[in-house]
Amino acid sequence: MSRRSYSKHIPDFRLVTHYGESGRSVVHSANPWTKAVLLVAVVSLATVLTDIVLLTALFIVMLAAYKLARLPLGVLLGWFTLPVMFVVTLTMLFVFTEPGDEVVGLDLLGTRVSISDNGVILMAKLLLRALAVVTFSLTLFMTTKYGQIAGIAHRTLPRALATMFLLSYRFLFVTSDEVTDLLDAMHARNGGLVKGVTRQSRLFASIFGHAFIHAFERAERISKAMESRGFSGEFPTVERLPRPSARGYVMMAVAFAAVAFSAYCRYFDQELMRWL
Amino acid sequence: MAHIHLEDGAFSPFWVIVWSLVAAGLVTLALIIIGRKETSPRKLAIAAMCTSVGFAVFQVSIPIFGGIHLNLTPLIGILAGPGLGSLAALLINVFSAAVGHGGWGMIGANTVVNVVEVAVSYYVYRLVRTRFKLDRFASGLGAAVVALSLSAVAIVAIVGISGIQDSEQTKEEIVANMVVIAVVNIAVGVLEGVVTGYVVSFIGRVRPDLLRDTEGVAEKDPAPAEGA
Repeated sequence: MSRRSYSKHIPDFRLVTHYGESGRSVVHSANPWTKAVLLVAVVSLATVLTDIVLLTALFIVMLAAYKLARLPLGVLLGWFTLPVMFVVTLTMLFVFTEPGDEVVGLDLLGTRVSISDNGVILMAKLLLRALAVVTFSLTLFMTTKYGQIAGIAHRTLPRALATMFLLSYRFLFVTSDEVTDLLDAMHARNGGLVKGVTRQSRLFASIFGHAFIHAFERAERISKAMESRGFSGEFPTVERLPRPSARGYVMMAVAFAAVAFSAYCRYFDQELMRWL
Repeated sequence: MAHIHLEDGAFSPFWVIVWSLVAAGLVTLALIIIGRKETSPRKLAIAAMCTSVGFAVFQVSIPIFGGIHLNLTPLIGILAGPGLGSLAALLINVFSAAVGHGGWGMIGANTVVNVVEVAVSYYVYRLVRTRFKLDRFASGLGAAVVALSLSAVAIVAIVGISGIQDSEQTKEEIVANMVVIAVVNIAVGVLEGVVTGYVVSFIGRVRPDLLRDTEGVAEKDPAPAEGA
């Protein structure tokens, strides 16, 4: 677990890795390829589905998968703050401007300001989609070992991108602590992130400038150490990635059949979904 | 900051595919640029560090305008160049999507926006520093403000073109809503520009070698010293 994280609202990569490495559940033992492909299916379903009941069902299924992985629900609820904040911030204007029946409103300086039913439904749908995907995304990373993620990245990404991905994933822990240390130092001196534009800018510059300089110096030390051990830009992976089991293939087939069926209903036969 | 904070399902499947293909094209271009010259492990390590610092800074919320954050992609562009900087932008978006800071389906659209920032900041900085001989602070400030203003326009354009799924608003109404967000983005862009200017000056004083590639032309025709 991290010494500290910025806040309990932002997923802590050390905690995520801790669960990934040490957890014992059915989901932990599932094949990493299966889980990665299922994430693609969940993102596709969240994008294709438009019915609020089905989106709610998708969210509930994702929560069930999270619980099946024996992961802490309280932590997840705290981490929901980030996606919820983004959806609410961006759809706030739509809640007022979306055409539809008035749910609640008031006259403000001669202008009618009202919240429409379609605006509320739009926000609810976007929230359900976001939370369903975030829940499964976190389930994937909290149930998969680093070596397995590295193996998938190594096999699916171009060499330069895979190397950068794997190095930056490793560096994340140190840089997060670095930034947190600098923020702690600022708070210890009674500083804050909002203190007038001039002071604020210099404050940010010193925090981020130091973070970058330290990061560069560390990167150079690490690259020298890696080169002295024979690193030539190719990241070796030792984790064996087995093929998905027959049950894994069935799950992937079912997930993509659901995506294909939802897409068919949406674009070719909307009555079929209503009938179901 | 310039980042489309829409979560999965905000764009229709068609537009998710379109922006993902555009982003894939840009990333392929970046990989070709990188592949043309030998990329040392040191450069890869520095670009990876840029990615992780960029992501770490990305998560620091500043309590103004209801909560904003800097993303420092212009700074990454100036330091890592358009090739490695574009890959860093893509990876920051991947890590962010993993924690719910923007959706997986939005990685394409976000990467397009961030690649604009990285490339514009790199070339504007290089131009201003070498052609107009301005100091590092002014060059960094100018590059970041131009890059972030263009990316704010790119965000409005992308959301305006794609529309919001399930919304019955016309594209003009959606653009009108997004303009408010773009104005906030540009205001924060000026703040980030000042921060970028200070950071570039700081790095220029402490580790000028890190800016050597970006200021490459300046080696033959030296740019004025800081404060000159």
